[in-house]
Amino acid sequence: MRTARPGSPDVLYRLWYYVRETVVSLWRNLSLTLAAILTVAISLSLVGASLLIREGAERATAQFQEGVEFIVFMVPNASAEQDAAIRNVLDSSPAISRYAYVDKMAAYEEFQRLFTDKPELVESVSPDVMPPSYRIVPNNPEAGNVAEMARQFGEQPGVKEVATATEAIHQIEDFSNRVSQALLVAAVVLVAVSTLLILNTVFTAISARRQEIEVMKVVGATNWFIRIPFMLEGTIHGLIGAALAVPALFVVDDQVLAYFQESDAVPLFRGFAVPDGYIWDTSLWLLAVGGAVGMIGSAVAVTRYTDV
Amino acid sequence: MIKLEGVSKIFKGDVVALKNATAEIQRGEFVFLVGPSGSGKSTFIRLLNREEVADSGRIMVAGKDVGSLSSWKVPYLRRNIGYIFQDYKLLPKKTVYENVAFGLEVIGRPRQVVRQQVPAILELVGLTRKAERLPGELSGGEQQRVSIARAFVNRPLILLADEPTGNLDPATSVGIMRLLDRINRTGTTVVMATHDRTIVDTMRRRVIELDRGVIKRDESRGVYEDGPTGIS
Repeated sequence: MRTARPGSPDVLYRLWYYVRETVVSLWRNLSLTLAAILTVAISLSLVGASLLIREGAERATAQFQEGVEFIVFMVPNASAEQDAAIRNVLDSSPAISRYAYVDKMAAYEEFQRLFTDKPELVESVSPDVMPPSYRIVPNNPEAGNVAEMARQFGEQPGVKEVATATEAIHQIEDFSNRVSQALLVAAVVLVAVSTLLILNTVFTAISARRQEIEVMKVVGATNWFIRIPFMLEGTIHGLIGAALAVPALFVVDDQVLAYFQESDAVPLFRGFAVPDGYIWDTSLWLLAVGGAVGMIGSAVAVTRYTDV
Repeated sequence: MIKLEGVSKIFKGDVVALKNATAEIQRGEFVFLVGPSGSGKSTFIRLLNREEVADSGRIMVAGKDVGSLSSWKVPYLRRNIGYIFQDYKLLPKKTVYENVAFGLEVIGRPRQVVRQQVPAILELVGLTRKAERLPGELSGGEQQRVSIARAFVNRPLILLADEPTGNLDPATSVGIMRLLDRINRTGTTVVMATHDRTIVDTMRRRVIELDRGVIKRDESRGVYEDGPTGIS
């Protein structure tokens, strides 16, 4: 009597089968495949842009930490007398709890630290042009009080400008919240759309191969053997889409964030940059999300349409 | 090899496909299932490889209780059961060789096995010289031979055939039956649903006649009709 021997593992052969079937299916379905991939790319670009803007905002407000409520920026060529006058007020005023002086060199170092991944930006400045500043922690952090003190300091000779935490942080947070939330809402909708598109693309692929699937079932192919090429197909849609979103992130960084950095209107926006490392990390996340979206979409399709 | 104990299957709308059917088929037997359309022949066959699940009763196939088999084990049951369709179900874009190889590849058999088994089975069904043809270039009888080759290439214990000669002329049908007979003689159990009176009467094998889901007759060397007044 003969029995069906369990097959000895022939991993490469099987792997080749999966790859072949997946590629053939991708080609057969080209227009839907492209639609699915582009939707994933667009939605993940928006997710990425939203994350970059958030991160930029957080970095821009990094100077206002540990209770610093306002910063007095001196002009880079302020005289010693002008500097001493400011310092004198700070030392004697009962309204000031403490303050830190950031000289040109320290400002330059901070700038270097903030823009580690933008050597060309760091090279474009020197310690000479950096404005020294006083980071001031008042006793009363209430907004009206801070605004009044800022106004007074702003009138002193040698002061370039005064940035208050409330004003600056509000500005930046407001900006980043509005933009990134709008992007995020659009992105969430689009991610849902791309999941559905992938589901449909995979479903179309399954329909195109009904006959094959029927034969596979009757000769005893396992469910997973039947499903894996379709799952791979959906996952590839997601991954390619995510991969296309990665260059989009760098474009956002180069064009949008750089625009704020160059703007002279609000000095704080100059901190509005994210290091390349963060962009790469975000890219990895996007790839993971893209792969997951593809896998989920195709998993739903295969479990609904290829069951024994 | 196959055992049905009080098996019933009712489809939606109270259509009785099989009613309290009991039968036992030994290893190496050749069994014809006969009866008018809708008498339950196809359901009988589909229950054996778990394309359908019985509502009541017990079905044993190759030592396994088919009804209570967990679904992930179903493919392994089917690897022991070859299945031949009336309409062949060959994949039109694959050659004869590829169609047969498909039956082994999709159950993960190694390449060496495929390379060994496919030519051997093509030789058995007499299609060695047409290995590189597409199904569309073959006659109906040849296509059915490919289908049989695909069903048998994994050397299953059981062959199920649902009207395998239903689309073929009598002369071609004889050739197909010779092939099935040959496969049966290697020890493979064959269960074949058919309307073909000549074939059943010529071969004189076991006949199970179904009528509205009930086993009406089970004879070891039967003919198509039970008595001269029977209607087909």
